[in-house]
Formats: sequence, C-alpha cells, structure tokens
Amino acid sequence: MTLATSEVAIVRPRSRRPSSMALALIGPATLFCLLQLLVPVAILFRYSLNRFDPASYMVDALTAENYVKFFTDPYYLTVLARTIRVSVVSTLICLVMGFPLAYWLARMTSRWKNLMVILVVLPLFIGNAVRAAGWMTLFGAKGFINSVLLGSGIIDQPLTLMYTEMAVVVGIITVNLPFMVLTLQSVIEGIARPIEEAALSLGAAPFQTFRRVVWPLALPGTLAGTILTFILAMNAYATPVLLGGPKFTMMGPLVYDQFSQSNNWPFGAAVSFVLMATTLGLTFIAHTALRRRRVG
Amino acid sequence: MAKVEIASLSKRYGENFVVKDLSIEIPQGEFLVLLGPSGCGKTTTLRMIAGFVEPSSGQITLGGRDVTTLPPWKRNTGLVFQSYALFPHLTVDENVAFGLEMRKLPAAERRENVAEALRLVRLEGFGERLPRQLSGGQQQRVALARALAFRPDVLLLDEPLSNLDAKLREEVRVEIRELQQKLGLTTVMVTHDQDEALSMADRLVVMSQGEVRQIGTQRDLYERPADRFVAGFVGRSNFLAGQCEGDGAFISAGGLRMACTAGVRGKGTLALRPEAVSVGPEAAHLDNSFEGVVEYISYLGSVLDVRVRLAPQDRIIVQIANRSGEVLPKMGDTLKVGWPATSGRVFAEES
Repeated sequence: MTLATSEVAIVRPRSRRPSSMALALIGPATLFCLLQLLVPVAILFRYSLNRFDPASYMVDALTAENYVKFFTDPYYLTVLARTIRVSVVSTLICLVMGFPLAYWLARMTSRWKNLMVILVVLPLFIGNAVRAAGWMTLFGAKGFINSVLLGSGIIDQPLTLMYTEMAVVVGIITVNLPFMVLTLQSVIEGIARPIEEAALSLGAAPFQTFRRVVWPLALPGTLAGTILTFILAMNAYATPVLLGGPKFTMMGPLVYDQFSQSNNWPFGAAVSFVLMATTLGLTFIAHTALRRRRVG
Repeated sequence: MAKVEIASLSKRYGENFVVKDLSIEIPQGEFLVLLGPSGCGKTTTLRMIAGFVEPSSGQITLGGRDVTTLPPWKRNTGLVFQSYALFPHLTVDENVAFGLEMRKLPAAERRENVAEALRLVRLEGFGERLPRQLSGGQQQRVALARALAFRPDVLLLDEPLSNLDAKLREEVRVEIRELQQKLGLTTVMVTHDQDEALSMADRLVVMSQGEVRQIGTQRDLYERPADRFVAGFVGRSNFLAGQCEGDGAFISAGGLRMACTAGVRGKGTLALRPEAVSVGPEAAHLDNSFEGVVEYISYLGSVLDVRVRLAPQDRIIVQIANRSGEVLPKMGDTLKVGWPATSGRVFAEES
C-alpha cells in the first residue's frame, strides 16, 4: 500500500508536469497568434469577396471580381512583377553578401565577436523613416554622391539616384541583410570546424571544401534565411514608399493605398491575398527545388 | 607511406613558444606518440605536420618532400580527429571516397579502394549508412578508413580514442596498432593518456610547455627518465627532496643517507619507482635499507599502495604485490623497506 502510493506520487507528477507545463508555456503565444493572425486573415478573405461601391464603399457580396480586376489590369500585374523582381534581387544580393560575412563571424574566436554581431544588427536600431532620410541626403539630386561627383567635375548633370528601383533594392538590402547574416551565422556555427579541416586534409582546396561540405551542410539555414528575407522584401512598405517615391509602387504600399486612400477595402483585401499567396507560393517552390537538389 | 623529418620546428605567438625547437626523424612504418599534459604543444605539432598551423621556424619533410609551406590539401596526410569529423551529409562510402575523389581517381578504382579500406576496419556492408546511424566505435573506424583510403604519406591521429568508452578504447588500441603494423603505416599520434601511449608506440616524445623532454622507447622513458618531469609523467615516482653529495650519495631532507646512481652535486630530487622498493626481510640486504611506519594503505586488488614514513620529511609509496596467503601490512606497523642503488635516480633541481 505504502509502496503503491509512493510510486504513484513519484511517477505521476513527472509524467504530467511536462505536458501541462508545455501548455502553459506555449499557450499564451499560440492564443495570441490565433486571435491576431487567423481572425483578421479570415475577415480579410471574406472582405475580398465583397463588392466595392463608390457611394457606400463595401457591399456584401460573394464575387471574384476584385481578383479578376487585379489579374486583368496590366498596372497591377506590373506592380506584382516589380515586387517579385525587387524581392528576388535583394534576397540574392543579401545571400551573396551575407554568406561570407556570416562565415567570418561564425568562425571568429576573438573576444570582439559579440561586438561584431551587434554591429551587424545595428542598422535595425534605426527606424525606417530615419534611415530613408539618411538615404535621401546621400542619393538626392543635391545629396552627397551628386555633390561630390559634380564638384569634382566627373559629371555635369546630377544623377537620378533617388526614386529608382536601385534605391529601393539598396534600401531593402540594408534592412534585410542583418536577418540573413544572423540566420546563416548560427547555422555555420553548427558545422564543427574539424569537419572543414577534415575536407582540407583529405585534399579538398577551400573552394571544394565550401562546395562539398560547408554549402550542403548550411543549406537548411540558407533556406531559412532566404525565405525570411524574401518575405520581408515582398511585404516591404516604408522602404519602397520613401525611397521609391510616389510612382514606384510595390505590393505593400498598394494594399495600404487601397485601404486608406481609395477606401476600397474589398480590392485592398484581394491584393493582400494575392501578395500572401505569391509569397507563400514562391517560398514553397524555392524550398522544394532546393530540397530536391539536396537529395539528388 | 614515407619517412617524416622534422627539423628544429618552432611555433611561437609573440614571445610565447608553443613548440620549441623540435627535431625528430620518424622512419617509415614507425608509430610515434607525442605525449604530454594539455598545453604542452603536442597538438600544435600535429597540426603543423597536417598544415593547419604555420610553423614560426623549422622544416617538415614528408618522404623527402618539403611540405613546410604547403597548405593542408597539398600535403597528403591522413588525419583522424578526436571528434572523427565525419561528413554528416555523406554516406560511409562517400566519406571514405572523399579523399580519392579529390585526387580524381577513376570511379572503378575508387570503389575498389573504398571497399578495401572498409574491409580493413571491418565495416563491410556499412557503406550505405549515414554516420549518425553508426555507433561511436564504428564512426571512429570510418574516420580511420577515410584517412587511409587515399594512401597518405603519414597517418596522423589526434587523440583518436578519447571519445570512446574505456572498454572499447582498449580494443581499438590493439586494432589500430595491428593495422598500423600490417600496413607499415608511418604514424604520429597525440595523446595525454600514458597507458594509451605506452601500449601503442614504437617510440614516444614526451613534451611539456612546448619543449621536448625526452624521446625514446617506453623502456627508455620508464627506466631512464631524462628529468624529473618524465619520471613523474611516465609511470609513478616517489620524489624525495634533498642534497646530492656526488659519488652516488644522497642526503634526504629527513637526514637519511641513500645510495643512488651518481648524480649532480647540489640540491636535487631522488626519484624512486614504488614497485622498485622491496619490503620485509629481503629489504635488509639491499643498498638502501630503512625502517618506516605504515601511514596509509590503498588496497587496489592485485597490488597494495602503502605509504611509509621513513623520517618526518621523507615519505614514500611502496607498491606491494598482493599474493594470496601472505600477511599484509597494517596501518601503524613498522615495515622494513629497501632498494638497490640503481633504482634511485637523482635529478638536479630545475631552474
């Protein structure tokens, strides 16, 4: 009897505690996400099927006309294409620039390492508006670059640097690069240094070691970093508005304009869903393509 | 396999020598062990041979080829890491084939060499597995096969056994040693474990604080240690402080006069192996014969360690074989101990 109860007393809390504990730990965040994410998404989707009336704004309906409008108007398709182009280009540049930096950080053994990591994250300490103001002083017609070039006589007309796709790509890279670098750094740190040394001692030159060992082992993290920065780029708002100017529209600003400027909630909702679906779709394609190459 | 020559090799960071003036010739087929406590420079030496650490001065030659300035991938050394460092994304076959692939061996030949290497480490049939599907001992053998498959000039083992559990370790010791002898592999192993070092080596290099203390066979090191450090690091020694009078006479701190091998005059230390001391009646006929009090006894099964106080400042550990039926000393007993003059080695005080 005593034995039995003591056994129960010992066994039960041990087996029960983790699950109730886990629930307590993940519960609040899960609940918050459900309410804050899924509910608005569901409402938004319902809105996207409504009809817009200039007089009474949103009219209850069940129609696909908002989606039809988007996919039949070359203007909106251009906005979508531009958004994808800017996102792909900025993400690829982030990857190419970020990998060496992440590798260097990951293999760094100096006591300055933490400081270096902070330096990488530092751009994120600056708000979008402040950063864009900085870009303007640099890229503007009377900005630093043009002043220097004009002053030294290299050019006689100011270059158009602001309000270009290049400016937006550069701006997005500035914001996204830290995310890429931090993701890659943690993955590369997970590849033990002796594994690389083994490849080197087996006769693989550094590039071969990278191609055969570091890259394949870093692939899952590379994928994560790429997806993260791609999603951030697809949904960028402040950077395209501030650096792209009024004519350079991307999907994020388009959604906002429909809601706040045109008061066309149904169409805004539809654009949101196109953006979301495109982002998820491209992410999925990239993911499966890389997976297949890894297995094959 | 080839001969390895190391000539006045040094590595220093600023004023601090990690390895100082190491010279040794390793003939083809020799198993050399670098032995020493952590931080003695043994791993740095191995990494200099492998090409991961650039020497500050000196020269390394593999089979007559000066490799001192060559990068690791041009050296043709087979390196086995403490952590094995297998490629986790490649199968056992692919791991073992890696070195051959880098040497652009034709596929057919490659397959043959991989199979041969896996057969040597008794892992036939494991080729399709991933490293994580293998036990620690199997992973260790894959690492060995990978390092051997491309016929390196020298096999380098960096504490290869320290991640294995104690029982397996002794088996693998024998396996590696037998393989090394069968294939005539010139081998350099780094270890801090003296049992491992003694049981596997042809010759050993004892290092401490970047300096070579002694190079020799197990017997050289044990019976003729070059200095106090070697006497204490290889096997066990009693150390008695005192004064050497020359002519083989040593006066201990406790005032006892001990006969020893001729040593340097002046302050010094007498080193005495615990098992070189006899006890009981037979001790009386030896060059040194003393009476002492048993202070402490450790019963270790096959042997007993008995701490005997000869004088208030002079205590020695005596190792007694545990033969059945014999009367064993007890704490507080008075015990006769003795040893021949040749067992006591005097080292001058180290500056």
